[in-house]
Amino acid sequence: MTAGSFPWLELTLLAPLLGAGVTAFIKTPAAAARWAFGFILAVSAGALGTAVEFLTADAAAVSSHGTFKADEIAAPMLPVLAVLHLLTLLGTSKSRMTPSFCARLLLSAFATMAAVTSQSGSVLIALMIAAALLPVWDLKSRGRRARGFLFYVVPFIGLLLIGWTFSEGARPVWAVGLLLLALKLCGGIVPLHGWLPTLFQRASFGAAMLFVLPLIEVVASLRLLLPHAPEWMLDAVSIACLVTAVYAAGMAVVQNDARRFYAFLALSQTSMVMFAVMLHTPTSITAALCLWISIILALAGLGYSIRALESRFGSLSLREHHGYYEQAPGLAVIFLVAGLASVGFPGTIGFVPMELLISGSAQHGLGFSVTLAVAAMLNGIAILRAYFSIFTGRRPTTSVSLRETRTERGGIILIALAVFFGGWFSPRVVESRHRVADRLLEARGAVPGKAGH
Amino acid sequence: MPATDSLLTTLGLLVVAAPALLLAVFFTAFLLNHRMQEETIGRLIQGTISVSLLAALGAAGVMLARGVPQFVIELGDWVITPDYHLKFQFILDLLSLSYSILTLVLCATIGAFSTRYLHRERGYNRFFVIFAVFLMGMVTAALSDTVETLFAGWEMVGLSSVLLIAFFQERPAPPRNGLRVWIVYRVCDAALMLAAIMMHEINGAGDFDHITGRHAWPEHDPLLIGPHFALLGVLFIIAAAGKSALVPFSGWLPRAMEGPTPSSAVFYGALSVHLGVFLLLRISPVLDSAPWLSVLVVLLGLATAAFAYLAGRVQTDIKSALAFASLTQVGIIIAEIGLGFRYLALVHLLGHACLRTLQFIRAPSLLHDHHQLEDAIGTRPREERAQWEQRLPAAFQRALYRFSLERGYLDTILDRFIARPFVALFSWFDGLETRWAAMLEGGRENKPEAARTVNDRP
Repeated sequence: MTAGSFPWLELTLLAPLLGAGVTAFIKTPAAAARWAFGFILAVSAGALGTAVEFLTADAAAVSSHGTFKADEIAAPMLPVLAVLHLLTLLGTSKSRMTPSFCARLLLSAFATMAAVTSQSGSVLIALMIAAALLPVWDLKSRGRRARGFLFYVVPFIGLLLIGWTFSEGARPVWAVGLLLLALKLCGGIVPLHGWLPTLFQRASFGAAMLFVLPLIEVVASLRLLLPHAPEWMLDAVSIACLVTAVYAAGMAVVQNDARRFYAFLALSQTSMVMFAVMLHTPTSITAALCLWISIILALAGLGYSIRALESRFGSLSLREHHGYYEQAPGLAVIFLVAGLASVGFPGTIGFVPMELLISGSAQHGLGFSVTLAVAAMLNGIAILRAYFSIFTGRRPTTSVSLRETRTERGGIILIALAVFFGGWFSPRVVESRHRVADRLLEARGAVPGKAGH
Repeated sequence: MPATDSLLTTLGLLVVAAPALLLAVFFTAFLLNHRMQEETIGRLIQGTISVSLLAALGAAGVMLARGVPQFVIELGDWVITPDYHLKFQFILDLLSLSYSILTLVLCATIGAFSTRYLHRERGYNRFFVIFAVFLMGMVTAALSDTVETLFAGWEMVGLSSVLLIAFFQERPAPPRNGLRVWIVYRVCDAALMLAAIMMHEINGAGDFDHITGRHAWPEHDPLLIGPHFALLGVLFIIAAAGKSALVPFSGWLPRAMEGPTPSSAVFYGALSVHLGVFLLLRISPVLDSAPWLSVLVVLLGLATAAFAYLAGRVQTDIKSALAFASLTQVGIIIAEIGLGFRYLALVHLLGHACLRTLQFIRAPSLLHDHHQLEDAIGTRPREERAQWEQRLPAAFQRALYRFSLERGYLDTILDRFIARPFVALFSWFDGLETRWAAMLEGGRENKPEAARTVNDRP
């Protein structure tokens, strides 16, 4: 059997579904975790196989299965999403691991990967709704109120359904507008972002990460919105995204709780991706597609470090200096490196995408570039402030060793390799992403009365 | 001369490759969770710097012998799209080789000094990993021929500087001061990034030869006229002012003395503090594009020199006094650049960096030297005040003293008019958000201790 004839995509999509079913019926958390790990490894293998198959095979010969297809948007994202889920599983402490958490994690893997590969608008909408309901399940399973989250999710689902239903066919502007509003809700664009910090504080960190980081709204924007939305609508949303990037970065600087800091940092970064999509120029969409990859990996690494520390020391306050460096130097390094990668530090995976984004936005005016540079500056300050709060200070004395476990070490190596060596592939990635951007804008230009840039 | 070209390319790449290899070794050790021995680290550092230094000296020798004024090493296009072009490229010329040789000589000295000075220190390995990042950043910035390459080195230097300020991380002050320095660095990084983008907008690429022409430094084509170049110049000046602690960013320099003495010497006495000067020398044709830019640079340099002189006079610890003395000279060098004396500025920079490094690494034993001096002369050495100081009115002297003691109120101004309003505004937003979230949850506002923002009182 050759690599090309193996059903990699089927493996990628069916393994998590099957895994979710299996782990849901397992009683012991340890056994559920082992099974989930096995299934996530299978998903990762499938995702990697799909991406390699896409890169090596003729695009026309790549497995196409009607509804789901590993096209040029999806193929590079599958391994990235697999790494996100793998890291989330590896970073979950034994005390927090439950069969239902494993099932949710695998369902999330299915929902996000299926959404990215989905070629049907209706299926994509259904998967987005399913993904939005997973955090509700998490909140309920932890005995937390979900009202705050539902306050945003219910309108999101409603707007998504109405917008999609009426935007098929004649595509009236108001229906496209509702769809756009739904995606703004999903992306947490200011002032519709209230659910995001709340979710990070009340749900499990892993569940919140899995809902926020995959950025399914970017897929939806590219596939459903970009070809049809009028210029003025995209321009208006791009400004809202830019405001969000700066506002969230400023909020991240003043937070004194590690989860809220992470939530606002993630919001700032993800809104930059949405901003780049909404600018809808070849360079900005190329930047968005590259940034999408780098942000998922970098923020997954940062989240991994915070979760590992929370499993040792409980919730982390940034008000005082904890001095955890000596206890967990590997986590300290990963925190710093992944955090800086997310703001485009040179030599890391985030450098080229961030340069592309800021440079690409200059075509619309230097004001856009200045604002983005300010957001990146504030995010950088927030990251180092959090680093100093968590890792410097007087060492706590503990009777047992709190150094990284072997499993955690595996995650650290994975993050380090992804963040550093991912950058070496930037030229090829940018080249391929630019081709995708051109094709997306060609599709937009083909629509009468909506010429692409 | 293909043989000369290939030789220069090899030597030039070796200058950068050796520190890169050192970082790769440290990275591999981190991945393998292997703790390296002090002796191994010391040898690696010395070996790396020796190779790099020999390569730089070799390249300089070949260029002098063959009469090559400058040589460009192209690494190819890293990223290329129709609207964007990212290129990593190095240049060997008088400026880049002088600065990189200076960097390597001083790093070799400090590296050798540090292996003994930090012997059995808990953070020994950490120090040298950060030192390696600094070395890589300095060499990259010194040899850069595109603004992106410069930016990469610039950022590495900034991060390593801040981490070394916070080196003694168990004490509260070093991380706090490190963060303040980082904030200033981020501002100047943002300015440099915007300058890079402007260069792309003007020329379609970030190559320095697009603004200097094909002439070897400091010659350039007199073509740069227009408002774009003036704005570009302003952005470069802001970037340089942040990095070299020029007024109004000077407040961070004494704070940077929290780090170990070797890092203070190499960063704030010699290399890091001169990186802004180096930037202005590299882009000096942009300063010539508008006379007011040159005037601005001169005024900035003189203001910094005057401020640093006054603040330095009232310092009570040797490292701070040396830091301000260093800054005084940096201000004068900046003024020299503004006046168009580029060669003089370069020579001044090289001499000053060497002298200041020597003074910094002698600082820990200075007290001992003073005791010896006092024993020898049998009394305390007399400190005579300058004639002009004695002629000033007493009230003005007191005001000047207070101004100097408060370091020109620069930190106070930045705190009161920028930092505090910023924190207050976002803390207010945070309060609103927390109340909104609590209302949605239908419960009493339950703000966890950890979630309080920096303005909240416990």
